[in-house]
Amino acid sequence: MLKTTLAGLRAHKLRLLLTSLAIMLGVGFIAGTFVLTDTIEAGFRQKFAAAADKIDVVVLPAEDGGREQQAVGAELLEKVRGVEGVADAQGIVRGTAALIGKDGKAVGDYPTSAVSIPDGRLNRTEITGGAAPKSAAEAVLDENTAKTRGFAVGDRITVLDSKNVKHEFTLVGLFDVGVDQALAYSGAVGFTTDTAMKMSGEKDFREIDVAAAEGVTAETLRASVAAAVGARGEVKTGAKHAEELAAANGADTKMLTLGLLLFGLVAMFVAALVIYNTFNILVAQRTREMALLRCIGATRRQVFGSIVLESAVVGLISSVLGLLTGLGLGAGALAVIGRTGLDVPTDGVALAPRTVAIGMVLGIVVTIAAALLPARAATRVAPIAALRSQVEEQTFRTGVVRVVFAGLFLLAGVGATVLGVTQEPGEAALFTVMGGGALTFLAVLILGPVLVKPLSAFVGWLPGRLFGVPGRLAVDNSQRNPKRSATTTVALTIGVTLMTLISVLTATLRVTYNAKLDEQFPVDYLVASQGDQGALPRALAEDLRTRPELASVVALRAASAKIGGNGEFEVGTFTAAADFTPKADTGSFGDLKPGTVALADYVVKDLKAEVGDTIAVKTTEDGTVRLKVVATFLGENALLPEVTVPEQDFDRYFGPLGDGQIIANVKDGVAEESARKAVEAAAQPYPTAKVASSTEIRGEFDEALDMMLMIITGLLGLAILISLLGIANTLSLSVHERTRESALLRALGLTRPQLRRMLSVEALVLGIIGALVGVALGAVFGWAATTTMTTGVVFQLPIPQILAFVALSGLAGVVAAVLPARRAARASIVGSLASG
Amino acid sequence: MTITGEVGAWNARGNAAPAVVARGLTKVYGQGDAAVHALRGVDVSFETGAFTAIMGPSGSGKSTLMHCLAGLDAVSGGKVHIGDVELTGLNDKQLTLLRRERIGFIFQAFNLLPTLTAEQNIRLPLEISGRKADQDLFDRVVETVGLRDRLGHKPTELSGGQQQRVAVARALISKPQVIFADEPTGNLDSRSGAEVLSFLRTSVRELGQTIVMVTHDPVAASYADRVIFLRDGLLVSELMRPSPQSVLDTLMKLEA
Repeated sequence: MLKTTLAGLRAHKLRLLLTSLAIMLGVGFIAGTFVLTDTIEAGFRQKFAAAADKIDVVVLPAEDGGREQQAVGAELLEKVRGVEGVADAQGIVRGTAALIGKDGKAVGDYPTSAVSIPDGRLNRTEITGGAAPKSAAEAVLDENTAKTRGFAVGDRITVLDSKNVKHEFTLVGLFDVGVDQALAYSGAVGFTTDTAMKMSGEKDFREIDVAAAEGVTAETLRASVAAAVGARGEVKTGAKHAEELAAANGADTKMLTLGLLLFGLVAMFVAALVIYNTFNILVAQRTREMALLRCIGATRRQVFGSIVLESAVVGLISSVLGLLTGLGLGAGALAVIGRTGLDVPTDGVALAPRTVAIGMVLGIVVTIAAALLPARAATRVAPIAALRSQVEEQTFRTGVVRVVFAGLFLLAGVGATVLGVTQEPGEAALFTVMGGGALTFLAVLILGPVLVKPLSAFVGWLPGRLFGVPGRLAVDNSQRNPKRSATTTVALTIGVTLMTLISVLTATLRVTYNAKLDEQFPVDYLVASQGDQGALPRALAEDLRTRPELASVVALRAASAKIGGNGEFEVGTFTAAADFTPKADTGSFGDLKPGTVALADYVVKDLKAEVGDTIAVKTTEDGTVRLKVVATFLGENALLPEVTVPEQDFDRYFGPLGDGQIIANVKDGVAEESARKAVEAAAQPYPTAKVASSTEIRGEFDEALDMMLMIITGLLGLAILISLLGIANTLSLSVHERTRESALLRALGLTRPQLRRMLSVEALVLGIIGALVGVALGAVFGWAATTTMTTGVVFQLPIPQILAFVALSGLAGVVAAVLPARRAARASIVGSLASG
Repeated sequence: MTITGEVGAWNARGNAAPAVVARGLTKVYGQGDAAVHALRGVDVSFETGAFTAIMGPSGSGKSTLMHCLAGLDAVSGGKVHIGDVELTGLNDKQLTLLRRERIGFIFQAFNLLPTLTAEQNIRLPLEISGRKADQDLFDRVVETVGLRDRLGHKPTELSGGQQQRVAVARALISKPQVIFADEPTGNLDSRSGAEVLSFLRTSVRELGQTIVMVTHDPVAASYADRVIFLRDGLLVSELMRPSPQSVLDTLMKLEA
């Protein structure tokens, strides 16, 4: 029996290859995910370990009750330096100090980081050009910032200190930020330790690095340093610290792995459907072969075993190919990441034994599992079937069980979805809707064969009219085996459903975000300080108010304050302007008089304070004040501070702080360019004042959404590709099955192009059916999902995109039919008539 | 080539031009040592409005001859004319159009598309060529083969005999210049077979249809006006107004 199976497999290499391709791609994606993340993780681990090599012991701020950190200061550093066995100890400073670019404005959206570069063997930073800073007049820049901002060693650079005072330094060197993602993101300026403390305004160290004297082990040193430091700091060996950092980083890579695996599993599920369908067709086609085997004495068990064995071989081969594909995919992704200049280690592609194991097991198990039902069907073939001359057409009747099951699933799915939609927006509601979506999808899966006929009649109406006899025959063919058509199209439906869902979500997010932006305040320009709250001098807002191009200018300022026993809140105010009246949810902003307060809705929840209640705010200048709540507003819709007090009160409570944000509106009829020039001119004297226009903010958001849409589309593309393989496979098997039919049609006068067109139309119909079901499901559940996200959602159906999905699915179906159609058209009529 | 003379004599007796003419037809499968000469130079013509049977032992080349005459298979040498059109030298598209316009087929089995009803199957050749069915002709054909109450049925719901009758109707509906039938009764019981054969003969008598039928059954051949005999790729004998017995005798002579 084994020999028979293997001989059968060898005889159908091409068929085997097509079938393998689906599983191969699925396994490849999953293996590729592991290869990618393993390599990155290994790279990080290696770099952390390399950095830790230089340090024997670190002293970190002790955690006090898991919240407040106790300072590690200069005094503690001296103490550590005095410990026996310490060769050197250096405090590491980390704060912010904004680098001024060549345009006179602070660079980037966030101020650059200020770091200390200790000298001696404890220097962990890798100086890649020039030298480390030796004096208070010298500084170094990270390579990337230097490159993008056009600075070179020898230049003079200007950096703001924590009081926004400018200081000049000579750029003496460049350094590599290594694996520190925070530094890579913000950019960094390095100083000597003392200068770093002065510039950043930090009084304490981030950590103290300690080097052991000759002959002292790290563990011994840790013990003696710990004894000296006591409860004031946490003392670890350098190696342990590196391990912990690497582990924390690993947690980030795990999220990436998980996200990618999710897409991989979708692809595998689609592949399983393709395999299931393929084996079903193969079994149907080999009815006579099976019957003959049974005639000459094979047991049902042996027939079952031969199909399972065949699937195991297919699974094995495709898993091995999949692993190779995965290795290639992983390496490719790493190469792309390396090119983008992201600071991610991409050296040495890692194929872990775990990856091999997971890939092989998954590939083989999924393939065998998908072939089990078809194998069971094969055992039902009666020996007498060998003697029948013509394979009977499979007929399909809608069974009661099918309808009942589909009904139950549909009921549960719709129920869950309705429940989720009517729930308060939030995670629970989203998960309920997702559950409902999965159940509904199962209902559609079960009901698929019933749906195929009416759908193909609907979809095929036009092609049937347009393409004459080949068109009508194609539509008939698409319905003749509803189960097969349903499984083929469902594979495509999965991909299209998810694509539609994502595009509905992004379109809705886009419109909702824009609507909210408009609702908040028709903001034309937003001037925000790059660094902390209150970093914009009030003179800036004054200057803006004098500009004739602007209609209104509102300044927002805020400070942190404790309210009752509820922790810190952002307490702030806004300056009055003619056309700016915030919208109250309850109460009224008209009542916002001295001694009163307005609260954001989520603060209302936290404080359990309604309009009319009184809250106690701990101010810095005026002690604890009791304020009456007169209004509440929707926090996410307004730019207002979450706890808003009147303008005069704010100065009394917290002193004359600077502004955090300034909103400026352009006068009607003023050209955009001149308005922008006016705002920028006002902001020019203040390096940290960043000007953004609402169109820019929208643009950034749009870009972020487009990027997300593109990445997800790319990842889902694989599932869709696999489902197209499924269509190609089903068609080529159907073509094989209908060899004599095609020959008959050719004999009756169907031309080759007509025969090809017939198959193309069939594929077109299948593709569009799959897309239509997917689009319907995706749109409905996209809508349901958006209702669970936040209130005030403006639902948006991206109709052009959805039409494009349907059209592309149809087109993809036609492409999938090219090869099978060619083969069918090329077959010799005489030979085909004689066969079978 | 004494036979050629006899065939020529038959042709001379006919009033109209022959429907199908083959001259020096050869067909070789394979190459070199493996070459099989299926037809070794056949000259034959088929009179318009006549029912001709092609007979011969297995491997005599009778099916190959039919395939070459019908333009289903390319010839290795010689010429074939259907009416005034020369088949040899036509490309696939021209051949397809020729089959569509001028030739009807009845095969031994698998004549019908399973997705179509009997009526749709009958009308299929007309639909493919985009012609309108002549409703009178359709009614007459359907009446002739007795399928009036079966028109809405799918092939799986018809008996073997009924399926072949649908195939006959389909071949007749497009009024082809010639119908080629390849063992049309091979899969039928004798009663159904007799029915199908009488329909074929009726269509020749009443509609003036030209039919060329390949068969190995002497009884089936006896329904024809004329039987030609092939052996080893050559035309070796022919019978006019055959009876089952005379066909059988000729076959016995050939086998010997």
